[in-house]
Amino acid sequence: MSITFRPLAIALLGAVLIVSGTALTNRTSAQSPTAASADSTSRIVAAANAVLASLDDAGRAKVQFPLEGPQKTRWSNLPSPMFQRQGLLLADLTPAQRTAVTNLLTTALSKDGYRKVTEIMRGDEVLKTGSGGGGGGRGRGGAGGGPSFGQDQYYLAFLGTPSSTSPWLLQFGGHHLAINLTLAGSRASMTPSLPAAQPARFTIEGREIRPLGKENDKAFALINALDATVRGQAILNSRVSDLVLGPGQDGRVIQPEGARASTFTPAQQTMLLELMREWAGIMNDAFAEPRMAELRANLPQTYFAWSGPTTDGSAAYFRIQGPTLVIEYAPQQGSVDHVHTIYRDPTNDYGARFVAK
Amino acid sequence: MAPGLSRNRVIAGLALASVVAISGTASAHRRDEYLQAARIAVDPDRVQIELDLTAGISVAEAVIRDIDRDGSGSITRDEARTYATAVVRTLRLDADRMPLQVELINVTVPALEAIRNGEGAIRLELGARLPALAAGAHQIFFLNAHRADIGVYLANALVPTSPRIAVAAQRRDVAQREITIDYALTASPTTSARTLFALGALAVLSLAAFGWMRERPAL
Repeated sequence: MSITFRPLAIALLGAVLIVSGTALTNRTSAQSPTAASADSTSRIVAAANAVLASLDDAGRAKVQFPLEGPQKTRWSNLPSPMFQRQGLLLADLTPAQRTAVTNLLTTALSKDGYRKVTEIMRGDEVLKTGSGGGGGGRGRGGAGGGPSFGQDQYYLAFLGTPSSTSPWLLQFGGHHLAINLTLAGSRASMTPSLPAAQPARFTIEGREIRPLGKENDKAFALINALDATVRGQAILNSRVSDLVLGPGQDGRVIQPEGARASTFTPAQQTMLLELMREWAGIMNDAFAEPRMAELRANLPQTYFAWSGPTTDGSAAYFRIQGPTLVIEYAPQQGSVDHVHTIYRDPTNDYGARFVAK
Repeated sequence: MAPGLSRNRVIAGLALASVVAISGTASAHRRDEYLQAARIAVDPDRVQIELDLTAGISVAEAVIRDIDRDGSGSITRDEARTYATAVVRTLRLDADRMPLQVELINVTVPALEAIRNGEGAIRLELGARLPALAAGAHQIFFLNAHRADIGVYLANALVPTSPRIAVAAQRRDVAQREITIDYALTASPTTSARTLFALGALAVLSLAAFGWMRERPAL
């Protein structure tokens, strides 16, 4: 009896150790800084310092702000000067300074994140050309104080001093774009951020560009992959006309709705995670992966809600909400060619969790 | 070139620039709608509502006229409160089908230019006292009928800050002009303690009475 019992006990003990070890590893990867992210922070700080070194005193005064102050929440989907931004305007930069900013963005963002950001900006250039915008003279200050469109109308700001150890915030944005990347040592948070697009589909040099195309495609694929019962739980019976937690809604947490991801099949859960990655993966991979691990760990408590038709190509709103996540995707006034999105972490907007530590 | 012609060209140019600027703005933002977003917080003894009103640029002047009653080009505190009070009259708030008295706590009106640009949100902070409710299932109903001709609506329950409240469901009409929030209220710890104490006291008294009855000599 004891002979048969002993291997069983050893096997059970082994299994417990393996499960505990795996859980500990997952927890560590989700919460602890890694060498890769520490290295990334150092490279971002170096790139930020290169931007500062390329500027004169006036330029440095424009780009630097206190970590705590009104600049933190000074972001919007609106074009300038309808929304009054502050910071270093790309239109004011020399080619060398602009190269330094580009280098900073490519360092701070993932390859796909940088692609998304620049496509949003190029879309604004198309909007400027297509509608006339209002931009005149380096695209600044539209005629009669009208809005300024175009890829030069984006602002960079540093809140706090770029540092590999102390918290600071890299802010970059303009019309239809707000990136708020808080770095605190080897930790990073890119919430709240607002990637949006108008036009949502355009052609440059024969190449079709859809800044938020993958978000749209992955969401429609997911809603149509759900079985009828779960899809019925996900679909809200009301029209959602806009972002609920857009600019100016910091600190608010709405009651989650829709279908709970715990009711999804593993394949559907993977689709949901890949959809989340479109926002979580905008920042550098070294920071995106711990964030994805956190979102994966919270998946059972995450909800997916949908409003509108489920046929791809339709204007439909969706929301993903979990303990540390809110993503909203909201076509504006029923147009698939004008989309606003928001990405938040109710527990860590502006890196509140990291800054508090 | 005759001065008159030159002036005409300038005027035509300015008009074109304005059209371009407005069309640019219009293409980028809400136009002929009045977005009204309500966020509703339910507490055990109170309901708080934040109502953000954002006018599209095509309807902004009409909204401004409703607020700036004397047409002075600026909004006084009285004008803001008068407008907000008129908005409150178009709202309905019920608890378990009983109407609640909605009070205006505060109103903030952004710069008129911001409203004209479709950017500025007029924010109303509202509150209503709830009657004493027993633990169990309850329901809050909210209806916003303000400017139904141009209004588009959002209505959402906030995650309750009180651990005694658990939102069970939100039900809305298609337009989100109305929302019903189903929630469960648990008894307050104080109430539970009092109830427990009363039950305990009753039990002790019952036992004492039972013992006395048994000890009493039979007649």
